[in-house]
Amino acid sequence: MSGLTLQHFLVFAALLFCVGLYGLLTRRNLIGMLMAVELILNAAALNFVAFHHYLHAGEVAGVIFPLFIIAVAAAEVAIALAVVIVIFRHQGRLNVEEVGHMRH
Amino acid sequence: MMSTVLFYFLAGFILFSAYFVVTAHNLFRCALGLIAVLLGIAGLYLLMDAQFLSAVQVTVYVGGIVVLIVYVILLVADVTQTSYPAGARWRAGVAGAICALMFCSMSWAILSAPELGKVQPDRLRSATLPEIGHSLLSLTAGGFGLAFETISVLLVAVLIGAVTVARVRAGTGEKGAKGQ
Repeated sequence: MSGLTLQHFLVFAALLFCVGLYGLLTRRNLIGMLMAVELILNAAALNFVAFHHYLHAGEVAGVIFPLFIIAVAAAEVAIALAVVIVIFRHQGRLNVEEVGHMRH
Repeated sequence: MMSTVLFYFLAGFILFSAYFVVTAHNLFRCALGLIAVLLGIAGLYLLMDAQFLSAVQVTVYVGGIVVLIVYVILLVADVTQTSYPAGARWRAGVAGAICALMFCSMSWAILSAPELGKVQPDRLRSATLPEIGHSLLSLTAGGFGLAFETISVLLVAVLIGAVTVARVRAGTGEKGAKGQ
């Protein structure tokens, strides 16, 4: 029997979530914020898998939801990067505090 | 005990890389840190017997999403630019305090919940690949067929939307692009 418990993974996911949140709050570059969001999403997915493995004896939803998280993250990144390209094309910078409006 | 050692090794590796992701000034190095984080999390999935998810994490996340991010970094950003405006030190302090408070409260909640510790070692298992496949495509109660189809519609919509948003329009877009 391994010495790992559910709490190991949960505390670690909470730590990863907080690191991501710190990045989201301090970064002012759009791409940097996007990468911080990826950390947060991964922490959430890790929680799903940990609960599915330790507490629910392989309930399938615990693997399906991380799959959907990955798919939605891909969609989110694609749209966000398209917006990043447009903003960069019009302003030449990616500082969120200088992006006051999306119309041009 | 082997898995415990592996867990702590992976956790330290991931946290080091995650710190790199949120603090490095060079965006390209952030992306490399993100790759390290995602690979480490794929390793954690393996520790929990979720092999399929681990493979998906490596192929889709590292092979797809991060490559897209790296591509856009190289396309639009001067990779040596700093990401912090000058004089944002107070913001980092406030954000650090908020995150430390959140982490303390979350780990207190996790460690003090009695039902999380009640794990029967003989019931530890993960969903197998046939189970995942059947569940993804079944339309009966408890199946995820509808969500699976919906997500493909979402991905098509995203494809069209991303192309529409990033398209260079005749007139305004060309002028801005020439300004770079």
